[in-house]
Amino acid sequence: MFDRHQDLKTIQRCKRGEEPAFAEILGRYKGAIYNLCYRMTRNGEDARDLAQEVFIKVFSLLDRFDESYAFSSWLFRIATNHCIDHLRRNRLRFLSLEGGVGKDGQEYELQFPGTEPGPDTVLQRKEAMERLEEVIADLPPHYRVIIMLRHDQQLSYDEIAEVLQMPLGTVKARIHRARNLLIQMLKSRSYDI
Amino acid sequence: MRDHHNAKGQPLGCHECSEGLQDYLDGTLDKQQSLRIFLHLRECPGCQAEHDRLHGLFEMLETMPDHPLPEGFDEAILASVPYDSYRQMEPIRRERVAVFLEEEFLPAWVRSPVTRLTGVGVAAVSVASIMFLDGAGLLFAVAAIGVAPQVVVSLQGMGRRLSLNQRRAEG
Repeated sequence: MFDRHQDLKTIQRCKRGEEPAFAEILGRYKGAIYNLCYRMTRNGEDARDLAQEVFIKVFSLLDRFDESYAFSSWLFRIATNHCIDHLRRNRLRFLSLEGGVGKDGQEYELQFPGTEPGPDTVLQRKEAMERLEEVIADLPPHYRVIIMLRHDQQLSYDEIAEVLQMPLGTVKARIHRARNLLIQMLKSRSYDI
Repeated sequence: MRDHHNAKGQPLGCHECSEGLQDYLDGTLDKQQSLRIFLHLRECPGCQAEHDRLHGLFEMLETMPDHPLPEGFDEAILASVPYDSYRQMEPIRRERVAVFLEEEFLPAWVRSPVTRLTGVGVAAVSVASIMFLDGAGLLFAVAAIGVAPQVVVSLQGMGRRLSLNQRRAEG
């Protein structure tokens, strides 16, 4: 998804202290990193702080970046570790699978958009997305992050293995378990899937 | 719920289909396995419905809208970058890379600390033995061979340092 060769050239310019190169890297990745942080915390202020801290850390440690790996993998690794550390520090509690209602106390049905566009499709889709994000936010962090890397960032299994520094088989098994848990949680909240 | 037989006559049950659905949608199955699931789905409404639900979930996960970045997001980051430090480090980094890229002509076993330490040990024992044993010439030869790896590695290091200083002096 990200151009490894282009990143490497930009990073080499960063290491020479060229200011526009840092802005280029930031422009390329800020959306992805901010959204990852947002979906890990579901809080705009925390996401902003975490994402900024990630970039500040990365930009001060570029000398330690091993150019034999993809820059995107290194960046996502720092971001995921930073988010998980933040969640641990703040001891966020996760809703149990038995909690079958949304945050406003009402039960919802998660309706996937059909192929035929109807007048309510846009609204239904928006509501369904909100419910899905709510359930994702209640996944344990190690499952949430792997769902985000796979589906939101659309990284391959190999790339996820590089980011999380795990064997490919472990990544695959964890993604399967994360999806199964997500489906189970959607069902337990009466979101029709 | 039904079993499907593929071209090779191997049945694919609903359980097996269900187990393979995530990999099928991820596109990580080989052609034969994908075909078996594809054929089973065509024949089994229950598994097809499960496939459609999972496919819908995948689609939604992959099209979740991006959250807009807060204002002033870039400024705090770009203001913290140690540009000067990178600029100052650049010549040093270039030298390091140059030294790193110099051709290594000594074999790894000569450069190995084990070889060098063993050699120095043998040389020390040989020199000490000269006082008690006959055949000083042979013992000197053994001592010389013993210290040889350490000497050549040290000479190489000195050569590189001299070359580096010369490059620095040339600017």
